[in-house]
Amino acid sequence: MKNVAIAALALAATALPVVAQSIKPEDQIHLRQSTMALIGYNFGSLAAMAQDKKPFNKEEAQRNADILPMLAALPKPFFGEGTETGGNTKAKPEIWKNLPDFTSKLEKMQHEVGKLPEAVRSGDMAAFKKQVSDTAKACKSCHDDYRAK
Amino acid sequence: MTGAAVRIRAWDLPTRIFHWALAALVVCSFTTGTIGGDWMPWHLRSGYTILALVVFRVAWGVVGSDTARFGRFLRGPRAVVEYARLTLAGRHPAGVGHNPLGGWIVVAMLAALAFQAATGLFSDDEIATQGPLAVKVSNAMVSRMSHLHDIGRWIVAGLALLHVAAIAIYRWAWGVRLAGAMVTGRMEAPAGAPPPRIRSAALAAIVLAAAAAAVYALVEIYPMR
Repeated sequence: MKNVAIAALALAATALPVVAQSIKPEDQIHLRQSTMALIGYNFGSLAAMAQDKKPFNKEEAQRNADILPMLAALPKPFFGEGTETGGNTKAKPEIWKNLPDFTSKLEKMQHEVGKLPEAVRSGDMAAFKKQVSDTAKACKSCHDDYRAK
Repeated sequence: MTGAAVRIRAWDLPTRIFHWALAALVVCSFTTGTIGGDWMPWHLRSGYTILALVVFRVAWGVVGSDTARFGRFLRGPRAVVEYARLTLAGRHPAGVGHNPLGGWIVVAMLAALAFQAATGLFSDDEIATQGPLAVKVSNAMVSRMSHLHDIGRWIVAGLALLHVAAIAIYRWAWGVRLAGAMVTGRMEAPAGAPPPRIRSAALAAIVLAAAAAAVYALVEIYPMR
């Protein structure tokens, strides 16, 4: 059953054109912003712990880290055609001019986020801090090019 | 412009330390902010220090030594134009302290840095770093401030380049060593020019401590309330 769920999720994430065509642009913008907000909330909590801005709480960190790979898998299909403008999107039009590069940066983020659960589980603070730092770099490299300030 | 030039003490020690510390911190802020990530805690520390230095310099511009005082080196448009005209004609008028044109660059640089510090306090890189006052205002305001902070660095970089270019031109075209004067404090002055009154470094230390305390309260204490 779990395998079926993972397969469905994977399919949803990869079936970009199909999804993009079936959801209207306004909703796609809303969906990607919502997932980004949740990613920001959970990663922000980990970053605050990694930077000693709030005390490290393993239970909370594990909860944040475990949900992030699932959240990170979500926004990709919501950058479809016709979503370059609209709502209060901060996505830059450059995304659709350099789609392969944008996609590779998004996948890099997913790859780094995928290592967070184990980094927390290991209990090794140095490994945890390094993984948070590497993930933040992946976020930034994409935001710098494709997200308006 | 008559008589032999003499070397006199133009810049007090606090102004010189302020200047070189600020130069180093501007480079530090620009670099750490651009790289981001793990360097952001240093970007914030550097910014707080710059803010304290700017507050110090504004106060020192009122109570400090003669050459540090805004009231003394800020000149009207007529004096600025006259100075620029003579200088471009190759007849650079000697003087003690900031020249009429350079004085306004001081104000422009302080204003640009105050702008960068102020917008930075309300900024959020939406990854892992927030300015200390971002929690106090709406997200729309945070977004605007982050944008202004992002483009404001180019204003600072532009002014810094203009400043360095001007120093180079004075050095290589007219043989005036302004950077050296900012190190030793001494510059060539026309004979008979009255030496500027220098205020004590202890007074500067008190002013700096007050500025640092004010910035500390703003970024560390106020956000927790």
